[in-house]
Amino acid sequence: MGIISAAGKDLSGNLLSLQQGRSAIGPLQNFPSRYADRLPFGEIKISNETLRRQAGITEPGVTRTTLLAIPAMKEAISNARLSEADLRSPRTAFINATTVGGMCLTDELAKDAHRKENGSEYLSSYDCASVTLFLMKYFGLTGISDTLNTACSSSANAILQGARLIRHGLADRAIVGGVDSLAKFTINGFNALHILSAEKSRPFDAGRNGLNLGEAAAFLVMENVTAAAGKKCFAALSGYCNANDAYHPSSLSDTGDGPVLAMEGALKSAGLAPGDIQYINAHGTGTENNDLAESRAMERVFGTVPLFSSTKPYTGHTLGAAGAVEAVFSMLSIGQQEAYATLNFTTPMPDSTLVPLTRNTRVPMQHVMSNSFGFGGNCSALVFSAC
Amino acid sequence: MLYILQATCVSPQPTYGLPDFSSPRHPVANRFHALEPDYQGIPTGILRRMGKAIRLAVGAALPMLKAFPTMPEGIIIGTGNGGMEDSIRFLDQIIAYDEGMLTPSDFVQSTTNAIAAQLGLLTGNKGYNSTHVQRGLAFEHALLDAGLLLRENKSAVYLVGGVDEISASNFNIDLLAGWFKQEIIDAADLYTSGTPGTIAGEGAAMFLVSLNPEGAMAHVTAMELLHTEDPGVVACTLQSFLEKNGNPGEPPDVFISGENGDIRNQPCLEAVEAMLPADAAIARYKHLVGDYATVSAVALWLGTLILQQQAIPGALVKKRGNLSTISRILLYNNYKNFQHSFLLLENVVAGSPA
Repeated sequence: MGIISAAGKDLSGNLLSLQQGRSAIGPLQNFPSRYADRLPFGEIKISNETLRRQAGITEPGVTRTTLLAIPAMKEAISNARLSEADLRSPRTAFINATTVGGMCLTDELAKDAHRKENGSEYLSSYDCASVTLFLMKYFGLTGISDTLNTACSSSANAILQGARLIRHGLADRAIVGGVDSLAKFTINGFNALHILSAEKSRPFDAGRNGLNLGEAAAFLVMENVTAAAGKKCFAALSGYCNANDAYHPSSLSDTGDGPVLAMEGALKSAGLAPGDIQYINAHGTGTENNDLAESRAMERVFGTVPLFSSTKPYTGHTLGAAGAVEAVFSMLSIGQQEAYATLNFTTPMPDSTLVPLTRNTRVPMQHVMSNSFGFGGNCSALVFSAC
Repeated sequence: MLYILQATCVSPQPTYGLPDFSSPRHPVANRFHALEPDYQGIPTGILRRMGKAIRLAVGAALPMLKAFPTMPEGIIIGTGNGGMEDSIRFLDQIIAYDEGMLTPSDFVQSTTNAIAAQLGLLTGNKGYNSTHVQRGLAFEHALLDAGLLLRENKSAVYLVGGVDEISASNFNIDLLAGWFKQEIIDAADLYTSGTPGTIAGEGAAMFLVSLNPEGAMAHVTAMELLHTEDPGVVACTLQSFLEKNGNPGEPPDVFISGENGDIRNQPCLEAVEAMLPADAAIARYKHLVGDYATVSAVALWLGTLILQQQAIPGALVKKRGNLSTISRILLYNNYKNFQHSFLLLENVVAGSPA
C-alpha cells in the first residue's frame, strides 16, 4: 500500500503522525481562496511543480488530482514488488476513485465552459476518468480499468470492486484506491452546506461543528493467494458491503439505516460476528449529522460497540480518497496492533453513550472494520483481517 | 453473463414507450437533445429541482421500476459526466459571487453519483448502489458490475443504466477539444462528412437484469473492454473475443456499429467491419441520437429491440445483409478513439446458463 496525505508524504510519514498524535490541519497555501485563512484544511504542502518534477512529467494538462495519485501508487507498487510485466499484464486490474477529478481546476473549467476559442491545456482533464486514464498510461496498465464516484465512499467501493474482480477470476491482482485534491469547487460546495468547521474538526464530540476538507491519495495492491505467495502481506480484505441509506441527498438518516446495512453486510460477507471486530476506523467526519447517525448505527449493529476512532483529524476529510486512506490506516493498526486516537475530542455527545478512543491504544487486533459514508446515501464498510 | 428482463430508453428520438424511427428528429447545431417523457408520478417541485441527467434517468427508470413486481437488489449507473450543467452553474456562482454564500443544491446535484442516489431515494432502495465514471466505458463497467453481483446473488435483479446530458458547457469543452465537428452538419451527412469530430447527444437507457431467462428480452453473453488507439489491437481483440464466445459457424447476424462520423475513428471501425461475415447486416445509430460517453447503453437497448422485433428499423440500416432470423448481435463502440467495447447479445434460449 501507499499513501500521501497532509499527515505524511508516504506510509512511514503517515504512521509517524498517527503514532505521535500530530495533526497537520491548517491554512490553505497552494491556491488562493477567500477561505484560505478562515478555514483549516488538510493540505499536502507540496506544490504542483514539485509533484510534476518528481513524477518526471513534462506534458501539459495534468491536474493536481493526478499528480497526487502518482507517489501513492508508486509506493504501493513498490511495496507489493510488482514488476513491469505485472503492471502490463491484462490480469492486473486498476480501480480508481475520485470525486473531484480535474475539477480541482475550478477557474480554468469555468472559463473553458464558456470561451469560444483557445481552450486551455486541460480540456480533456476535467472528468474523473481523466485521472485514471493518465495513470494507466503512466504506469503502463492494460487490464480492466475503471473509475468510481460514490462521493465520500468512492475509494472504499474501489477496494471492494477490486476484490470482487479477483474473487470472480477476472483479475489476479488489482491496484485499488482513490485520490482527491482540494478544490474551490468542493470548498464552496461543503461551505454552502454549512458543514465546514472553522476549527479543527472534533469527531464524536458534543461540540463538533463540521468537518475539515483535506486532500490525499491512497492505493492498495490486492492479489489473489497465488499471486501474493511469498510476499509481505499487510492484511486480508475479509469482508465488504455497499448499501444505500435512501434517505436524503446530503445527510444520513437519524437511524443510520444505510450504515447499519453496510456494517452488517460486511460482517456477513466476512463470516464474522459483531464480537469478532476489535476496532472500527469510523467515518467520523465531525459533522453533527454523520457522527450521531454513525454512533446509532454502530450501537444497532454491535450492541457493545468495540473500540473506535476517527482518523480524519489527522488528514482532514479527503472525500473520494478517504476510504482508501482509512483502509491504509486500518491495516497500519493491524500491523502495529495499535488503534489510533481521535484527536480534539473532549466531551461525549449528549445523545449517545459512545466515546471514541482518545489515546493511542495497543490492543490485539485480528479484525478491523473501516466505514465510509457519502452523499447520496452511499454507505460502504470493509473488514480487514490480520494475515 | 446476464439476461435483460426489461429495457427503456429516453433519447433524442421517440424511443420511450412505442419506439418510432419513421420520421427522425434532427440535431440542432450539431446537438441532439433528448425527447423527454411525461414525468408522471413525480411531484413538479422535485422535478424542477432535478438536473437534466437525473431527470432523464428518473424518466427512463421510474415507470419501469414501478411496473416491475419486485424491488431490484441494487442500482448501478454509468455516466461520463453526470450533472455537468449543475457543476458549471455552481462554478459560475463561485466566480460571480467571489466564493460568497452559495446555494448548495447545484453542488449536491452535480456529483456524478447523484443519479443512482436519486433513483435509490425515490424508490426507497437500500441495496447496492454504485456509479461508474470511466468515461466512454462507464456504462460497460456498470454492466460488468451487475454481472459480478449476479454471480454473488443468483436470484437477484439489478437496475443498470447509462446516462449523460449534453449541456452548453460540456458541448463547448468537447468542441474546443476537437471532439465535435467544427462545421454544422445534417444528421444525414454524419457518415460522409470526412472530417474529424462527431455530433453530440444525450439520453438514458435503463435495464433490469438477472440470471433468470424466464420472460427475458435478450441475453448478454459476453463483453470485452479495451483502451487502445491501435486498430490492430482492436481487430485482434475482436478475433479472440469471437473465438472465445462463438459457436463455430454461427457468426453474428447483425453488427450494431458505434460509427460516429469522426474520420479518426474510421481505421478502428474498418478493422472491425473487415472481420464480419460478408452477409452480416450492419446497423448504426449515432445519426439519430448523437454521440456521448454512455451512448452504448442506447446501442444495447436497440439490440434488445432488434432481437424482439426480429428486424432492424429502416432508419438504422447501413447494410441490409442476408437476414432470415436474428439470433446473435455484435455491438461495438469506440469512444474518442481510445475506449472500445464489444458486446454479444443473443436471443433467449430457455434453460441456457446466463
